[in-house]
Amino acid sequence: MRKSRWIVGILVLLVCVMAGQAAFAEYPTKQITVLQGFKAGGGSDTLAQLTQPFLEKAIGQSFINQYIPGATGAIAWTQLAKTAKKDGYTLSITNTPMLQTNYIMNPEITYNISELEPIANVVTDPGIIVVAKDSPYKTVEDFLKAAKENPGKLTVGNSGVGGDDFFTTLIFEKASGLKFQMIPFEGDGPSWQAAMGGKIDASFNNLGITYPQIKAGNLRALAVFTENRYELIPDVPTAKELGYNVVSGSSRGYSAPKGIPAETRDTLIAAFKKMAEMPEFVKACNDRASIIDMKFGDDYAKMLKEQEAAFKIIWDEVKEQYQGKK
Amino acid sequence: MILDNILLGLTSVLSGYNLLAVAAGTGLGLFVGAMPGLSATMAIAILLPVTFVFKPETGISMLASIYMGAMYGGSIAAILIRTPGTPAAAATILDGYPMAQRGEAGRALGISLTASFVGGIISSLFLLTVAPVLGGIAVMFGPVELFAVAVLGMTIIGSLSQGSAIKGLLAGSLGLLFSTVGMDSVTGIPRFTLGNINLFSGIPFTVALIGLFSIPQAIRLIEKEESLVERVNLITDRILLPWREIRPLIPTFIRSSLIGVFTGIIPGTGGDTACWFAYNEAKRASDDKESFGKGSPYGIAAPEAANNAVVGGALIPTISLGIPGSSSTAILLGGLMIHGIMPGPTLMTEYAGVTYTLLWAIFLSNFFMFAEGILFTKACIFVTRISNKVLSVAIVVLCVIGSFAINNNFFEVGLMFGFGILGYFMDKLKIPVAPLVVGLILGRMLDVSLHQSLLMSQGSWMIFLENPISAVLLFIALFSLIQSTPIYGRWRASRRKKSGEAR
Repeated sequence: MRKSRWIVGILVLLVCVMAGQAAFAEYPTKQITVLQGFKAGGGSDTLAQLTQPFLEKAIGQSFINQYIPGATGAIAWTQLAKTAKKDGYTLSITNTPMLQTNYIMNPEITYNISELEPIANVVTDPGIIVVAKDSPYKTVEDFLKAAKENPGKLTVGNSGVGGDDFFTTLIFEKASGLKFQMIPFEGDGPSWQAAMGGKIDASFNNLGITYPQIKAGNLRALAVFTENRYELIPDVPTAKELGYNVVSGSSRGYSAPKGIPAETRDTLIAAFKKMAEMPEFVKACNDRASIIDMKFGDDYAKMLKEQEAAFKIIWDEVKEQYQGKK
Repeated sequence: MILDNILLGLTSVLSGYNLLAVAAGTGLGLFVGAMPGLSATMAIAILLPVTFVFKPETGISMLASIYMGAMYGGSIAAILIRTPGTPAAAATILDGYPMAQRGEAGRALGISLTASFVGGIISSLFLLTVAPVLGGIAVMFGPVELFAVAVLGMTIIGSLSQGSAIKGLLAGSLGLLFSTVGMDSVTGIPRFTLGNINLFSGIPFTVALIGLFSIPQAIRLIEKEESLVERVNLITDRILLPWREIRPLIPTFIRSSLIGVFTGIIPGTGGDTACWFAYNEAKRASDDKESFGKGSPYGIAAPEAANNAVVGGALIPTISLGIPGSSSTAILLGGLMIHGIMPGPTLMTEYAGVTYTLLWAIFLSNFFMFAEGILFTKACIFVTRISNKVLSVAIVVLCVIGSFAINNNFFEVGLMFGFGILGYFMDKLKIPVAPLVVGLILGRMLDVSLHQSLLMSQGSWMIFLENPISAVLLFIALFSLIQSTPIYGRWRASRRKKSGEAR
């Protein structure tokens, strides 16, 4: 009896060692931590919960979220860039434009995207102009005409200085030669709520966020900042159609710190590619009005780099107006 | 249609799993609420990912029950050990602790539990019946109106600092100053952050509150000789109150519940604001203002009814329009979204099954809160038998855990101790802490909404008087300001004299 127990014991030990060695050879062998720069239940968390069940299937390991909200994500991203181990077991959800505007606008924030290894962009929520259902502006033409006649008088909300809607408004002003009275709010919600209550003339917002209200008829979409008309709102013209070359929105994806092993990076990118092809994932995104915009590795890095340059130019133009002369 | 949905929700909530989720959520809420440093918002945020394994209605019902339970739980710590279990229980300290010190801890907790129950039930009824009608109020409050609400709130400082107006105003101004730390959300400029990015989001209100109340209390407990300290462990009175005790409190219950419901509906204000509004109104309505701060039952009933009423109130715009009425409901909405339910006006139609289950869960959680509350409170009273030296250390440990867990950030633990030291010296100098708290809660709203309003009006201050809601609120603020000055007192005295002569 005793002998057979010994044999079983040795066998178990052997199996464990072998399993351990096999695991050692291939990333990932343990849970992957995802740093979140925003509160649980926010936009980043929504993306995390949406993607992680599928990513877990694709990569064979589970994900664990660590929430470190503060300084519009900068605390988590600084940690990712400066102190996280470069082994592929720490990732972060990176959202534009905050990822870049944080350090463009504030010298105190010291990380930058060259310290990150972008893995994949997942969704992009396009910019949109919305007004209250009883607004006098029935069409985008009405709105633009009124803006032309009252330069700097029409009040338009955005989600905050440095946010995507703030930059969309600035880019649109530049492209159209119009001038608005911009009102920054603390987030997308208060901005569209002020528009819905008729407190401001319009809100520059995001499609995915305002879609339930547009669908219910509480908000009217005037124009959307996409390349082509979007299928959820086929009657809403794009800014491009109107002759203004403005395509804008806020994107969310995953990044690792720079310097993770190349194979690890490839494994992660492969997992995102696999996820993008899962029909259940596509359906889950559609159910949430999340617009899939997959960009992998170098393409994602290129996108972030281009945006960084564009934001820098715009911010340099308006900086004095917001922060005074230095 | 609505009646069908209400019935559908009722049958759904009565399923075993859902009842269990509500009972467990309420119990958990009581527990985190009673722990100084752990708040409802935090518990909901931490548990949110756990609920993804449940069905949406079960998970969301559980989270909402935590919210309800924690609102009462917070008062237990406030009454027994003078540290608010949740930010919404801060006002309960003012009268709850003095009453407990008189040896009436059971009575104080009984008043709190009854008030919480009544507030919760009233707000649940509002939620079940007229939520779609009241939801619209949320969009009526833009920057201009919010500014007026904040100004009205600031007048509370006046009534909290009676006796020493200068010290009260000093504390209030200090609170306002602290609230300006962080990124100015209208210009994007970081202010008073000393270049530290941990301060970019401002001073987290909960962290400051934990430090201001709990650390001085922990020090106070060990400063005095054990035998000299008044212990509150002589609980001879019952938690279940006799009717004759409850009856005079009913007007306070109802007034405070209504304040709670409406404060809840207004986006950006929650239990932490409502408790002060209700306390202030109870004091204003009272004939015996002197008893406030010395263990008045009205001073316990008002904030406690209001903070539980906030739960239902905050859910009104959340479920009818998809606009969160408070920070806790914002997380709940996020939870719905993650469950694949688009938060918005369709919550009450397309997702009626989930929504009405949630509404009934809120209603039922009141009963669970009452029943579990009695048992839990009885257990908690043993806290007062613990040696002060042990209790003091336990409080500090909980404060450290709590202030770290809010944002998983060690910087905030240091910040909490900083505020603790400030609170200790304020206490020694007899400067009231409550006005500082009010200033800190409302300061940011005051600052941001003022700036936004003036941008909207192109710099004209008339915007506040042209807007009917803000004009009325500002008028009330002016009136209550005059009411707390000596001029009003003299005017009333002379009027009383005249009517006395006439008689």
